[in-house]
Amino acid sequence: MNWMHGAWAVFEKDVRLELRSRYAINMLLMFVLAALLLVLFALGQTPVSARVQAAVLWIVILFSGAVGLGRSFISEEERGTVLLLQLNTHGSMVYAGKLLFNFVLVLVLNLVAVAAFVVLLSVAVPLPGLLLTTLGLGALGLAGATTLLAAIIARTANRGPLLPVLLFPLLVPLLLSVVSATRAALPGGAGWAGAQDELLTLVGFAGVVITASVLLFDYVWND
Amino acid sequence: MGIWDLEPVPSMQIIPQDTTATSPYDTVWTQVPEQQPEGLERVMLAEDKLFVVLAVVLIIWFGLLFFLYRTDRRLDRLERSLERGISQDPDESVVG
Amino acid sequence: MNAPSTRKPAIDLRRYRFVRAAVGVWMTGVIGFAFLRDIPSLEILEHTARNLYFHVPMWFTMMAAVIVAAYHSARYLATDDPVRDVRAEQAARVGFVFGLLGILTGIVWARFTWYVGQGIWWNFDPRQTMVAVFLLIYGAYFTLRSSIDEPTRRARVAAVYNLFAAATMPFLTYVVPRQMPSLHPGAEGSPAFSETDLAPVMRPIFYAAIIGFIVLFWVIYTQRVRTALLEEELEENPL
Repeated sequence: MNWMHGAWAVFEKDVRLELRSRYAINMLLMFVLAALLLVLFALGQTPVSARVQAAVLWIVILFSGAVGLGRSFISEEERGTVLLLQLNTHGSMVYAGKLLFNFVLVLVLNLVAVAAFVVLLSVAVPLPGLLLTTLGLGALGLAGATTLLAAIIARTANRGPLLPVLLFPLLVPLLLSVVSATRAALPGGAGWAGAQDELLTLVGFAGVVITASVLLFDYVWND
Repeated sequence: MGIWDLEPVPSMQIIPQDTTATSPYDTVWTQVPEQQPEGLERVMLAEDKLFVVLAVVLIIWFGLLFFLYRTDRRLDRLERSLERGISQDPDESVVG
Repeated sequence: MNAPSTRKPAIDLRRYRFVRAAVGVWMTGVIGFAFLRDIPSLEILEHTARNLYFHVPMWFTMMAAVIVAAYHSARYLATDDPVRDVRAEQAARVGFVFGLLGILTGIVWARFTWYVGQGIWWNFDPRQTMVAVFLLIYGAYFTLRSSIDEPTRRARVAAVYNLFAAATMPFLTYVVPRQMPSLHPGAEGSPAFSETDLAPVMRPIFYAAIIGFIVLFWVIYTQRVRTALLEEELEENPL
């Protein structure tokens, strides 16, 4: 079987399952909206600096990602489909398919979060292109790091709550760069020139995380 | 003569450089406090702050000591299980 | 029952004993020189400059432990040798303690040197933040280990996480310092001495302290590996 086809088949299968139940996407969206609203209620009428706005947005995104993305491999274990996948496909295809699915999920999540954030906090965005680039690169890094860890926690005894513990310390570089880059896209920010280093760091982070995952995935998957 | 009585090497005085780069922390650490230090600070700042070094060395010493005790406890456990194992030796258990 | 294990001993005990004795003498010398040698007196720093010999090697030792742990994790994945897993875990544990000591000593040093009269204990110094994140990562590593009962699966999953974390660590050392001002050498406006003006008198003792602490790490780590291997042995073949 062709590698691209295999990966695409895994992706397609996940999308079809997701469209049938809409469990992951609904949970993620509800989580983001609830968290953002809670933050807004807690802040009240206080004006918030752009740095804090960027921080709030990304903290909410990271938490909802950590809550929602852990499902991707646990659901396979629960349905007992792991063995089928192991027999019919190569590990790297499964990884690529899952990564693509998680990436799309995080991207949707990010767009919804930003839309809600812009409307609810009435934030002006002078540089939408920069913001979108940051969102895309941040989603890639987040999905890349989470996919391998989701495979790891599917191997542990009580699967759910461990993912944030494993994930957050690794995401500190991502969080810091993504918050600065978002800050640069907001009013009074440094703009494209100021966010250059952060964007490069994000590209590097996503690259390293995905490369390391591809190299390590087989050891978790074929156990 | 205590070591804090020794004269510092005079030629090594370092002139503070690059005062133009002012980050917010600059003002924090170059300010000399006007009031007399109190409590814990009075102890720590005595003898040209030598006690800060003492505190640091003691932290490391106690940390490593604590670690040593932890390893010791594991050895104790091993010894106990060895003893239990020997008392349950097949030769003896046949007799008992 | 009680059969001597067939695999060759994982540790060269003669070398271990020799290094243990040597590091004892060496560190005694380092501590002696650290207090007795004259050092240039700087404002603010005064005698606390001597902390260079004790605080900074903690950081070097932790990095050494991180490298040792990652190396053994990689070897574990390549060979499936359970001793590698024990080594990786123990290196991480000893490294964790050195990181903790580094953070605690750093807090005390900064509190009574740069933050006199301000009452600041925790500050967002990049290196402090970085070590804090390292400690979080290893905390997660130990949590992950405790969540899996089956030994081979635990070893494999832990090795994967350790290597994955090690891959992201360089970003930490690159990104974090760009975001925060620092008390550490090389930072703008820092009155602390940087690499270029580290006084020549202090240099040999500083390097000797780094070597001494790293060897001390090796001794403690080897001791822990011996204990852990014995524990495993007893669990597998009870007497």
